[in-house]
Amino acid sequence: MSGGGWSGIPWSWNIVTDVRLLWSFQFMRNAIEAGTIIGILAGIIGYFVVLRRSAFASHALGHTGFSGAAAAVLVGAQPVYGLLIFTMATASGMAVLGNRASSRDVTIGTVLAFALGLGLLFLSLYNGYAQEAYSILFGEVLGISTAQVAFTFWSSLGVLAVLALIYRPLLFASLDEDVAEAKGLPLLGLNLAFLILLAVAISFAVQIIGVLLIFGLMVTPAAIAVRLTSRSLSAVILSVLLAVTAVWAGLFAALWTNYPASFFIVGIIFVEYVCVRGVGALRETALLQAVDAPERDGVRSLRNATLTASVSQVLLVGGAAALVVTLLAFPGAVWSPAELVARALWPLLALVAAGVLGAASSLLYFSGFRKMATSSREFTAPAFLTLVGLLGIGLTAGGLGLFLSGEALASTAYGLAPVAELFGVPILFLGVVLSLVGLVGQAVGNWRVGLRYEEGALRAGAILMVLPLLGYGIACLGYQRALSREPAPAPLSVSG
Amino acid sequence: MVADLPSHPPVYQPPLGSPAGSGSSAIRAERLEVRYRNKLVWKDATFDIRPGEFVAVIGPNGAGKTTLFRMMLGLHWPTSGVLSVLGAPPRRGNYRIGYVPQRHTLDRETHLECDKLVRLAYPGKRWGPGKRWRPLQWGPRFQLGAERDAAERALEDVGAADLGSKSLGSLSGGELQRIFLAEALVGDPDMLLLDEPLSNLDLRRSRELVETIHGLVRSRGVTTLLVAHDINPMIKCLNKVIYIANGKVAVGTPNEVLTSERLSALYGVHVEVLRDSRGNIVIVGGEDERGEEGA
Repeated sequence: MSGGGWSGIPWSWNIVTDVRLLWSFQFMRNAIEAGTIIGILAGIIGYFVVLRRSAFASHALGHTGFSGAAAAVLVGAQPVYGLLIFTMATASGMAVLGNRASSRDVTIGTVLAFALGLGLLFLSLYNGYAQEAYSILFGEVLGISTAQVAFTFWSSLGVLAVLALIYRPLLFASLDEDVAEAKGLPLLGLNLAFLILLAVAISFAVQIIGVLLIFGLMVTPAAIAVRLTSRSLSAVILSVLLAVTAVWAGLFAALWTNYPASFFIVGIIFVEYVCVRGVGALRETALLQAVDAPERDGVRSLRNATLTASVSQVLLVGGAAALVVTLLAFPGAVWSPAELVARALWPLLALVAAGVLGAASSLLYFSGFRKMATSSREFTAPAFLTLVGLLGIGLTAGGLGLFLSGEALASTAYGLAPVAELFGVPILFLGVVLSLVGLVGQAVGNWRVGLRYEEGALRAGAILMVLPLLGYGIACLGYQRALSREPAPAPLSVSG
Repeated sequence: MVADLPSHPPVYQPPLGSPAGSGSSAIRAERLEVRYRNKLVWKDATFDIRPGEFVAVIGPNGAGKTTLFRMMLGLHWPTSGVLSVLGAPPRRGNYRIGYVPQRHTLDRETHLECDKLVRLAYPGKRWGPGKRWRPLQWGPRFQLGAERDAAERALEDVGAADLGSKSLGSLSGGELQRIFLAEALVGDPDMLLLDEPLSNLDLRRSRELVETIHGLVRSRGVTTLLVAHDINPMIKCLNKVIYIANGKVAVGTPNEVLTSERLSALYGVHVEVLRDSRGNIVIVGGEDERGEEGA
């Protein structure tokens, strides 16, 4: 896309100049205006799509729009008119065929498949097959004309006016269908009106984001917004802001990089969605708030433990990686502890911090599992294993201390050094093994608690527990290879 | 009609001095017969519910309890007989009835403040041309203050004042039922139809909710019909029981209806009603031989 031979404009790092430069292109002004209108429309309609669970319907309307656009191209009209006619007809059909929420998806899916096939037929009858199909499927925002912008603007204004009129009953019918029916609200009429508004919004949105990526603009911004606020007006405003900023950022990024705008729009929204889900996983679930005191306290300890352990693991991985990089920077050097500390102070400090946080998280895990074990016996084993892990961490620290002090003493008090090294290494080894046992216990316990209380954070923590195990495995393999490096293993000759 | 009501619910006067006869009935049914998809649900129901009564609707699954509610809401029509609700034939969109359905559209993924749902149910004043043209249904609101106050009062009355700003998806089952109750109550209705509000609640929370509902019946004088599977949490507060089974309907006080003789006659097979020392009831027999099902 990006208007054929366009190859991006030079980025000057002066925002004012850049925006002024962009604004000097008519097609860019059109794109920004259309994108803003469509972002507002998608943000508002999207809120109802999320509330009514009509995400699949909006997806399907986009697909039927494909056949509409293809038909319009075939008869030589603007694709947007074909889009409007086909999506509105489909919306009416959907509303009449299945007005109860539960019975919609099979109907919709059947219509969807047929519509897509029809679009394929139309496009194969047309000559410029690939180019048109591409712009309908993935959007062609930089090709929007001034007349189209005006059409989009007035139609969107109409959609918003109708939506303002039916806002309250639609919201009520979306939330409590049966009561709305008893109160005399026309459910069928409301559903029909909403689906037609949705069809119009989708027809316009297809112009910039394309049929296949419609979900990203119509549904996801609103889905993010409802996760951030439970006030309806705030959610609508937030959803609009997310959609519009994504469209703007996508357009600018597309112009400067010469990659498709649709990708940037969907990509920005996707990253926002992932972040919101990530933050949401840290919140306590309602299920947890409903359980009794000792269990709830236990799960809270486990949440804190998981958070601490995650930080510890990040430090561990980061510190180890930094240490390896430092070591590799001086190949063949013989390292004394003093040199190591001098050259790799920060990685070592990170590793020490990781160890301290790991021990702290193990303490929290132990207290959490112990509280859980008072109500349910299945958490006795994780509590015990965590205690073993704590012992392991202590032994690791002690063994490491002994080993290092042996190394340090090697230059001064010769008599003590062999003793320290002799005991240091096996204690270190035992400590590491026991710590790993503790980790396994924590991971299993975390997973179980996470499943029982629908705690995403704890389940994620359980998976994170695997990281140090993997790290240990990789370290062992690396050690093996380092040992066997001197006589480099001859590559096996493959017999032809 | 709602607009004529004072903004505060009147203190309830027990219907002692009210004249007898059909004029003082909240619900009156005469030889009522109902079919669903051309299949007989029940017939020959004749009963009379007076204003301010607390009535339990009991019976096995599929006996036609929800159908009774849908008829009173004007969503289903009797095949024969007379039904009068609040002195008039049932009609859809009757703002004097508050309704809590058994099935709800919202779920754990519904992120919306509770008081929004309650406020949406507020009927508001009638204006514009014709009797069917209400601002609830069409267009923006011009009485946000009244709506907010009504929602606050309804939430307070059901003991959920502190839940107003919470998200619907984050509530427990008992809290959610209180919100639905407030939603039904917000227009100051004269009648409440509650379809299985106690299902999915444990015994303690069932009793708490029944206490709240009974308090509303007494303070607001609102006629209340409650569909339930287990009559025991509310047996001490009830004025009447409507027992629906086997295509027939029996109505009366709990002591009249819940006897071995009446239920045996209803089911057409021998049914035993057992009572323990605290007044709890177990019904043995009936449509199947499981003791816990009937009561």
